[in-house]
Amino acid sequence: MSEFVQECLREWRRLGVPDAVANEMAADLSADLDEAEAEGGSPEDVLGNSAFDPRRFAAAWAVARGVTGPPAPDPAPAWRSVVAIGLSVALALLAVVALLALSVRSGSQAVSVAVHRFAVGPGPIRMFSPGQVQMPPFVKTQFASANVQPIALAILVIAVIGLGLLAVLFWSPRLGRRRNRRDRGPRSPSWS
Amino acid sequence: MGDGPAYGYEMTKRLGGRGLSIVGEGSIYPLLGRLERDGLVQTHRAASNGGPPRKYYSLSAAGQMALEAGVKEWQVTRDAVDGVLGLVATEVVP
Repeated sequence: MSEFVQECLREWRRLGVPDAVANEMAADLSADLDEAEAEGGSPEDVLGNSAFDPRRFAAAWAVARGVTGPPAPDPAPAWRSVVAIGLSVALALLAVVALLALSVRSGSQAVSVAVHRFAVGPGPIRMFSPGQVQMPPFVKTQFASANVQPIALAILVIAVIGLGLLAVLFWSPRLGRRRNRRDRGPRSPSWS
Repeated sequence: MGDGPAYGYEMTKRLGGRGLSIVGEGSIYPLLGRLERDGLVQTHRAASNGGPPRKYYSLSAAGQMALEAGVKEWQVTRDAVDGVLGLVATEVVP
């Protein structure tokens, strides 16, 4: 069996063509290609331009016969969702931190307090239990020496833009429809 | 197919012999597949000349009716086009 026919078989399996039908089509195609070769011809004599694109040819044939099954599950969407959720959470956290920094008084001490409160301080939202982590003194010192409001504003803008891009790229219904069309596979040849 | 049952490559050769090299458009297999799906051809397996069993295609009753209707439609279209081109030729040639 030629590499062309094997590639066709792989494509038919991917498209959910039943094994019996796929094997029958492969046998017919192999016999025709062997006959053409025995007569001194080439695969192009049998297949025309399709001899250079086995996957497209196989898909067109299977679709024309109406033997394609439901599309095989694509692992990519689940992978994309995990990445999208992870990025969304990270950007949302960044936005929250930036908002905290902006909402308090400008100045280092307030920011330091805000960060400290978020990390270990009292209240319903904190990363560590009280007393578990002590903020090192140099952190306060560093915050104290800089006005972080412009940085916080920049981070907030970046986070919001990032969330917007994620919403468009991953959750847009229009793009979802396009992905679904792509997953459904090729259409019938234009002349059929 | 009106000349008798034929398998895929055999039909390609028949068409090529009559000046219809449709294989360049994407091969005859999808076309035969669509005809089979629509019930316009019937198939059977038979041994070829010393080779493996082949799938032979022939016209079904519905395919024969579709062929006749298509031929009539083609003739009407061809006559209409010939009529128009004849008028053009009359006007162009003194």
